[in-house]
Amino acid sequence: MPKLIELKDGVAKGVEDPFTNLADDQDLAEGDVIVSLARFQADGERLLSEGRRVGVRLQAGEQVEALVYDLPRLAVVALEFPKYRDGRAYTNGRLLRDRFHFRGEVRAVGEVLREQAGFMVRVGFNTFEPADDASANEWQAAVHRYRHVYQRAADGRIPVFGERAFAERGA
Amino acid sequence: MYQYDTLDRQMLADRSAEFRSQVARRLSGEITEDQFKSLRLMNGLYLQLHAYMLRVAIPYGSLNPTQLRKLAWIGRTYDKGYGHFTTRTNLQFHWIKLRDTPDILDHLASVDMHAIQTSGNCIRNVTADPYAGATAEEVDDPRVWAEALRQWSTFHPEFSFLPRKFKFAVTASPKDRTAARVHDIGLVLKRARDGALGFEVIVGGGMGRTPYVGPTIREFLPVNRLMSYVEAILRVYNRHGRRDNLYKARIKILVAALGKDEFARQVEAEWAKIGDSVDLPDTELARIRGAFARTGFETLPPVSDAFETAKAATPAFARFARNNLKPHKKLGYTIVEISLKGIGDTPGDATSEQMEVVADLAERYGQGDIRVTHEQNLVLPHVKLDDARAVWAALAEAGIATPNINLVSDIIACPGLDYCALANARAIPIAQHIAEKFRDQDRAERIGELKIKISGCINACGHHHVGHIGILGVDKKGEEFYQLTLGGSGAEDASVGAMLGPALPYDRVADAVDTLVEVYLRERQDGERFLDTFRRTGVAPFKEAVYAEAH
Amino acid sequence: MKALTANRLTDGEVVFWKAGHWVERFANAQLWTDDDPAAIETEGQGKAQATVVIDVYLIDLVESEGLWAPLSYRERIRALGPTNHPHHGKQAEGGAVIEALQHAHGAARSTGRVNLIKRK
Repeated sequence: MPKLIELKDGVAKGVEDPFTNLADDQDLAEGDVIVSLARFQADGERLLSEGRRVGVRLQAGEQVEALVYDLPRLAVVALEFPKYRDGRAYTNGRLLRDRFHFRGEVRAVGEVLREQAGFMVRVGFNTFEPADDASANEWQAAVHRYRHVYQRAADGRIPVFGERAFAERGA
Repeated sequence: MYQYDTLDRQMLADRSAEFRSQVARRLSGEITEDQFKSLRLMNGLYLQLHAYMLRVAIPYGSLNPTQLRKLAWIGRTYDKGYGHFTTRTNLQFHWIKLRDTPDILDHLASVDMHAIQTSGNCIRNVTADPYAGATAEEVDDPRVWAEALRQWSTFHPEFSFLPRKFKFAVTASPKDRTAARVHDIGLVLKRARDGALGFEVIVGGGMGRTPYVGPTIREFLPVNRLMSYVEAILRVYNRHGRRDNLYKARIKILVAALGKDEFARQVEAEWAKIGDSVDLPDTELARIRGAFARTGFETLPPVSDAFETAKAATPAFARFARNNLKPHKKLGYTIVEISLKGIGDTPGDATSEQMEVVADLAERYGQGDIRVTHEQNLVLPHVKLDDARAVWAALAEAGIATPNINLVSDIIACPGLDYCALANARAIPIAQHIAEKFRDQDRAERIGELKIKISGCINACGHHHVGHIGILGVDKKGEEFYQLTLGGSGAEDASVGAMLGPALPYDRVADAVDTLVEVYLRERQDGERFLDTFRRTGVAPFKEAVYAEAH
Repeated sequence: MKALTANRLTDGEVVFWKAGHWVERFANAQLWTDDDPAAIETEGQGKAQATVVIDVYLIDLVESEGLWAPLSYRERIRALGPTNHPHHGKQAEGGAVIEALQHAHGAARSTGRVNLIKRK
């Protein structure tokens, strides 16, 4: 089972993964599952009707818009980073939170390194499968490395211009 | 000038600490070179032929004297006593040791400088008109918007892993000194009839392997909607830009493939969904604008007697004044361009001593303001005409009073094969040979505006596509050869140069340029620049002259 | 003939392999004949020193007036220093081998690494 890190209320913790990540050619498992978009489109209704929790794994080239009507029924959207340098999943993450108001788990899978942690959290990821064996403590440090942010994103953090305005009003 | 506050400074401190830990992890073997390479590249640290190269960001080319002195000190302490100003208005140190870089970043941070996003597939240093705040031509101060973009793009969580690098230029003058039309995004500030400020938005220009002059996708974007609109552009690009082929990954390829209208339609559709939630509040824009408001100007007479007398008495100063001084918006002031193109010198290089001289002059005579141009020169934007002679004398003593701005020897050249790991051929010695050929300043002035730009490989860091004469170094069966192009322009009349003919060997390039110039002098009509003559006559007479000699 | 070159990790200095360690002067580099399998073996050994050097590769040499010089122009510049600053880099030391490299004849190819590694 892959090591999963969950970020909750700003604290990173190693957690057991309740989901089985199913490949397209893999037999259906018991319990909660994460499947590809193609498999979800074929079997999604059945899986959901069985009362289990269902997640969908999107490749970098797939767009969250494909899931819009199913989002309220999904427990997890897992977004793939085929390579550390491939940044398409950041847009998917941001739209999930900002535009489609998805409240469930957004999971980072693939080549997930601690250097990306801060960016991922800002666009709305809350669970991570690190590929670099980063511990929860190391992940925590990476997430909180920067005391400030310059722009609005999906995490609701107040950018520096907001901090400045606040300081001015306080003064 | 914009002043960093505690928040900006804490960002730099956090960045510096992060990079220090990354270097430590690399040196201990905890991470591999492959993993580290992406990390060091995000901090402008390249491995070149002889050493590491550190590229320091100079946001919109703007420096204060303290910063320039620190760059001089770093050059002396950690490099070989000099630095190289680039076409991105950054400064590169070419002899850097990896183990020194965390300390260098701390020293940079101590004067509000850094190397953030000077490399990598992210939004790079934003460039702006080097005459901003000084020229009467501009409808607004482009630095306000460049600074807003700097903050917005710094560690942008969604757009730090784009298909490829991404460059913005901002100008507010009809005369474009930023090459806006050959940028990923060029923003040209305009005023509508009702006085409202907006941007003409140009997307998908670029050089490199496939040069394009960027199309305008929006004629007028209200300025306060800038952030949401560029966010829409970047989102369309991040999703749809090609990631399968490094050479087709820039936004220009996407814009060309979709067509300007379809690309614009997708951006507008995305923009409509974003709404105004990411636009900067007016209070923040006002705060940034306030930082650039200048109040230090004196009321001076339109004519400076001291200036006129000095010109009459000193022909060398008169020549400098003709070529290197540009009109200022305030009476009695001038813009001083400092050429880093001394005849026989390396284009864009400045020694630590020269940087210190410029810093001192800026402090004493120039309201503490220094700019870097994308043509690899420096600018003191606010000098009193009364002081111009003193400035010139000090520059001359430091060896940086070459009176050749926009003339034939004011050449852009990338570092080329003398330093760069990507280059196919040398660029610097070609520039030196050409400059030597035109050492005679009278002749150079007779020739007038002529922009020569040289790149040592197809990546086009030397902007050869937009040179009036462009020179591209290629590797032809193992030897250095050079392809010449004519008629390019990076200015408001942007165009991509046309190929002159077969590539020339190293030792024939300077002679060929000389021949091209002679053809121009023969063919030109009243007041035509080289570029104008070429556009009228086409390539034929030039081609004939250069290749006739080869037979 | 071939030589093995790399850049030193901590400072980026151009180095050459000589009998189990890295030296800074091309003049001191160990040379192998083109068909000597030891060259490839040593390249593997060099590449394994990931915390000492980066970008390890063999370069081709060419004979010029009785001395061996790197075949490629790029490698000559690495062994000497930039041509625009004659006092920067290894050429500053001067000496017979430097002199010979500077004037080496033979087809100087601008690229010429045996195992080309694209890098930034």
